[in-house]
Amino acid sequence: MGQEKVLMTGNEAIGEAAIRAGVQAYYGYPITPQNELTAYMSRRMLEEGRVFIQSESELAAISMVTGSSVSGKRAMTSSSSPGISLKQEGISYMAGMELPGVIVNVMRGGPGLGNIGPAQSDYWQATRGGGHGDYRTICLAPSTVQECADLVYLAFDLADKHRNPVLVLADGRLGQMMEPVTFAHLPDAQPPEKPWALTGAKGRQPQRIVSLHLNLDELEQHNIKLGKKYAKIEKDEVRFEEIQMDDAEACIVAYGTSARVAKESLKRARQQGLKVGMIRPITLWPYPYEPVRAAADRVRFFLVPEMSLGQMIEDVRLGVEGKKPVYHTGRCGGNVSTAQEILDELHHCCQKTQTATRV
Amino acid sequence: MAVSLKKMSKNPELLAAGHRSCGGCAAPAILRQTLHVAGPNTVIGFATGCMEVATTIYPYTAWKVPYVHCAFENSASTISGVEAAYRALKRRGRIPEDKKMNFIAFGGDGGTYDIGFQALSGALERGHNMLYICYDNNAYMNTGIQRSSVTPRGAATNTSPAGSVIRGKQQARKDLTACMVAHNIPYVAQASVSNHMDFMKKVGKALDIDGPAFINIMQPCYRGWRHKPEDSIEVARVGVETRYWPLFEVENGRWKVNYKPKEVVPVEEWFKLQGRFKHLLAEDKEGVIQWHQEQIEHAWSQLLKREAESKEEGQKEAE
Repeated sequence: MGQEKVLMTGNEAIGEAAIRAGVQAYYGYPITPQNELTAYMSRRMLEEGRVFIQSESELAAISMVTGSSVSGKRAMTSSSSPGISLKQEGISYMAGMELPGVIVNVMRGGPGLGNIGPAQSDYWQATRGGGHGDYRTICLAPSTVQECADLVYLAFDLADKHRNPVLVLADGRLGQMMEPVTFAHLPDAQPPEKPWALTGAKGRQPQRIVSLHLNLDELEQHNIKLGKKYAKIEKDEVRFEEIQMDDAEACIVAYGTSARVAKESLKRARQQGLKVGMIRPITLWPYPYEPVRAAADRVRFFLVPEMSLGQMIEDVRLGVEGKKPVYHTGRCGGNVSTAQEILDELHHCCQKTQTATRV
Repeated sequence: MAVSLKKMSKNPELLAAGHRSCGGCAAPAILRQTLHVAGPNTVIGFATGCMEVATTIYPYTAWKVPYVHCAFENSASTISGVEAAYRALKRRGRIPEDKKMNFIAFGGDGGTYDIGFQALSGALERGHNMLYICYDNNAYMNTGIQRSSVTPRGAATNTSPAGSVIRGKQQARKDLTACMVAHNIPYVAQASVSNHMDFMKKVGKALDIDGPAFINIMQPCYRGWRHKPEDSIEVARVGVETRYWPLFEVENGRWKVNYKPKEVVPVEEWFKLQGRFKHLLAEDKEGVIQWHQEQIEHAWSQLLKREAESKEEGQKEAE
């Protein structure tokens, strides 16, 4: 596999990209709708002579990632929403210890056991830390199967570059759908040197990697150091796509599966003469506030389609700073809006903002 | 609690028809038989899994008794809480002192052997008056057949596939029933869907006993074991005949084997009924089938030894 295009599910593409990215250990636990990824890795990792372990729980899996990461290996785990909640303790520890690692969340409907339909209702959890303590995790949101592969590859690089856990936020639809995907542009990665890793102190001074800082000032210094790292990530790692924003009078902001549907709504709106553009965040943290801020000076309103009651909309509002109305649309509970539904909402918002202007 | 089929035939079914388990699935029989013994004064706690999903597709429920669903790992904790609340209400006089209620937690093997092990162990140690029933179908069937810690060595699952080099699961299974015995609780038993009277008697005993009880019941899953849907009970029966899954109980530390096959069936005959061992039957260079047979012989002799010791203890006590 490599040069040619192949038809794969998003789950499988994530697995294959991770292998290309040089993942040395994968730890999985059953949960729908990401089971194809674990099954794929159970076969492929062993073929490659690498580590595959099915753990006894999600907490065990993330802790195994911690163990592999602390010894300098590229490691990954994956799950879906309820399982990601269980991993939060481990993610917080990894953030505290500044350990790289990739965590894939193939989101499903919640809260609680919810269902196994696709959803985007873990946005807050994914972008605001998720576990306890003052930390951030980089969060990448693919919207095609190809991007599932590309962003997983990027996730490993960013994790190592910043010594930070990276979340890949897909959903049940992306995980289960099949699309053509190519891995041609993803060379087999050589993970970077990790002089900080605990590899046995042969020929060097012993090192420590800890998440416990009993001394108050020591922890404060550690928090400040982390804060500086997060500020640098916010400056350097923002990624987004802009579609027809040059002459846009209305702006859709959407990511992942919602963005794919909204692209079709945008096309139809343009055919009907509505000047609609779109900002598609690829990094959900750090969030692309800058293009949203710039658009707020030009467009009449923002529409944020999400597969939730509205979570990312808060980030859009942070970018808009009250300059223009920001509306939410979307379905939840495992449902996905149709292109027509989003288009109807666009028309509705147009009317609302016209009235508002007249008043 | 006496178990009478005649009486039961007149009982109302407490698990309604129309739930959505697969045709040929043996698990609903476990639930129905349990409820027939336990009756309506019962609270069920259910871990996430096949039977939870199949019996409670919103907005419907098949349960005619109070039922609490919880996450994958905590049905023992949830039912602990229900039982503790019930005791508190009794203390305050809100529930009559002599009212008997049953607290039963269910989990599959994934939710019991693996992720729910900690919660189960804790509940048993605290000594809640509850019964935990593990319906053990040897893998995570609800999520699509991933190996669990009770999947037999050599069996193929979606995360322990049988390839040309690595041929199915490499590890031996965990003996959960023995782990439960080690908790020194009043009652632990192993049962099979093929022996329904034996199972129901065990449920009756477990509910009569004051304190925690545990029953581990084998339930073939034709999707994961790859046998004919109509053969679920037969596959379980042969499993018992091979002594792969012996029927026994440990009551206050005393072991008793409930069924001793007259003619021993080699484990290979059991494997032949199941597609998950197909690769082993075709080629078994590592001698996994022979290994299973040796394990069975060893475990069986241990079991008989423990039974004999228990008998001796009982006799001494009587003297």
